Amino acid sequence: MEKALVVENLKKSYGKFEALHGISFEVAPGEIFALIGPNGAGKTTALRIVATILQPTSGTAQVYGMDVQKDAARIREIISYLPEEAGAYKNLTGLGYLTFMAELFASDPATQREYVQRASDITGLGERLRDKIGTYSKGMTRKLLLSRAVMTRPKLAIIDEPTSGLDVVAAIDIRESIRRAAADGMAVLLSSHNMLEIEYLSDRVAVIDKGTIHDVGTPQGLKEKYGKANLEEVFVQVVRQ
Amino acid sequence: MRRFFVVLRKELKEMLTWQTLIPILLVVVIYSFLGRVINQEQKKQAAPQALVVVDLDHSQISEMLAGILTKANFKVTTYTEGVVGDIVRKVASEKGAAVLVIPQGFEAGINARKPQTVQTYTILRSFSLLGMQGTFKLDAALTAMNDAIGDMYIKTGAPGLDPAVVKHVISAQSFVTVGTTSAEGDPQALVSVVMQQTMVIPIVLTLVIILASQMIAASIAGEKENKTLETLLSTPVARGALVTAKMMASGIVALISAAAYMVGMKSYMGSLIGTSSGTSTTVGQAIQKLGLILDLRGYVLLGLSVFAGIMVALSIAVILGAFAEDLKSVQILITPLMMMVLLPYLMTMFIDINTTSPVLKWFIYAIPFSHPFLAAQFIFAHNFAMVVAGIVYQFALFLVLATVAARIFSTDRILTMKLNTARRGSGLGGWTLVREGISLRIRRK
Repeated sequence: MEKALVVENLKKSYGKFEALHGISFEVAPGEIFALIGPNGAGKTTALRIVATILQPTSGTAQVYGMDVQKDAARIREIISYLPEEAGAYKNLTGLGYLTFMAELFASDPATQREYVQRASDITGLGERLRDKIGTYSKGMTRKLLLSRAVMTRPKLAIIDEPTSGLDVVAAIDIRESIRRAAADGMAVLLSSHNMLEIEYLSDRVAVIDKGTIHDVGTPQGLKEKYGKANLEEVFVQVVRQ
Repeated sequence: MRRFFVVLRKELKEMLTWQTLIPILLVVVIYSFLGRVINQEQKKQAAPQALVVVDLDHSQISEMLAGILTKANFKVTTYTEGVVGDIVRKVASEKGAAVLVIPQGFEAGINARKPQTVQTYTILRSFSLLGMQGTFKLDAALTAMNDAIGDMYIKTGAPGLDPAVVKHVISAQSFVTVGTTSAEGDPQALVSVVMQQTMVIPIVLTLVIILASQMIAASIAGEKENKTLETLLSTPVARGALVTAKMMASGIVALISAAAYMVGMKSYMGSLIGTSSGTSTTVGQAIQKLGLILDLRGYVLLGLSVFAGIMVALSIAVILGAFAEDLKSVQILITPLMMMVLLPYLMTMFIDINTTSPVLKWFIYAIPFSHPFLAAQFIFAHNFAMVVAGIVYQFALFLVLATVAARIFSTDRILTMKLNTARRGSGLGGWTLVREGISLRIRRK
């Protein structure tokens, strides 16, 4: 089966500083794959390259066989990207924002309505969707943005720190939404430094630190391999080695 | 194309909020109000001014002078007795403006053909520009009196001579020449009317350029700060469409604001220019003959020059906006652009481009925004080649800048370029433009 994402020896430098030292991993359709690591590990850089908004210095990343540099425009039709702590246009209403984003992806009004309807259902914001985004709490905004990210049923969703800064209830809602979307066949590439969240959410994880992937496996497999009780301990062990 | 309009609509929704509209509306209201107030004050000034004449001479001549002053648009009240100091105090308490005292022995002195002195008292109450104007009208009173006595001397001294001929034996028939055409007319009146045709252009242009540039740079910086730009860049909208939609939206909003400013400013400026310089028939005919009126070709050229200027400003603002990390840094980044607009605005107002030094001349020509400011001058001087050359230069510059802007947006420079306002370890304060490690350091004094 064709892979949703194949990353091979990906490098990215900002001037003299090399943020990624040649990372490689693959994501299958319907799989939730997570990059775990501390702040500054290179997670966001990797996600931004896959989302076609940063260009790699060398190496390749292919989304469903399309190269992120050569076929960026085509890739953008089938992916969605949710940056960490992203905001939305505060002067638009929630519904206005969803409609705007749906219009960018949908080719006809019927599809557009379908996207907005799906997103409205996922947000669970009800009548508040008619209020300006400026009046929303952080959790509400994140739910709105996540529903926007999955409403087009993208073939690959790239989600940076899905629940950072959210309260427990909002975080659980978001995780549930991601799981449900993946169950429908959407591949998910996400990043987090919250290892417990990743353990609950991901099918496979890559441990990344200082621009290098140290190990890849299922959460269970990694715990068994290193004889640890949770992913946090696995991470510390892997990085120390 | 469909996605372009989707983004354009979003940009307009973002930019046309009450926060941006209320200040614009306020300016319109304030300027209209100012214009109305100034108009009323001017009408007050144009009305006959009250003048109290204290006639201590009780003579034929002093009575005649009171009559002359009435003809010279003064509302004269005459006192024939009393102490001058008391009268002045009384006039002041009754809000009068001026007192003129004709001393005893005035007629005798005039008849003896000796210089005479009258005393004038000006009662100052307001130090505003228009308030002061009334006080200077006493000069007019003195001139009217001198003319009358002078005429009297001529009539008695040289019977048969027309005093008007004696005083103004030479008069000028004025002609104005533009290029190879000459026409009869007063040069000052002509210049004033011609200036009025185009004087709003620099004001509108400066406003539009500054507003539009601020808006587009703030829009880009705001999207960066909110991280909505990252989301937008990962959607299927073409990068070119994204930049163009932003440029067009800020252009539209700036034009709306400029139109609103103009409505308010029309009333304000109208009151400042005054109604006195209305076009007389001779001036009108001279303007027609000399071709000092903007015809279709003139308007098209001027419009193109202004349009090209706005496009250059927008493309510069896009590039500057790309350096901004947040809304705070927009103001710092946009300052050079504002200087680039204000400098030629002031220079073309005070410097004659035809006679200035070659270095300064080419410096002014090199600034793209000089050309719309100079275009009207060149069109009136029938120097169309310079206008066209200016437009070509502006469009060429726009193409270069737009290519740079599009390049920034189509690569990851849009996210990696930034203006770093943090102090560095060297201890020197300053701003650093960073692009993937390549730094250009600007020392802060």
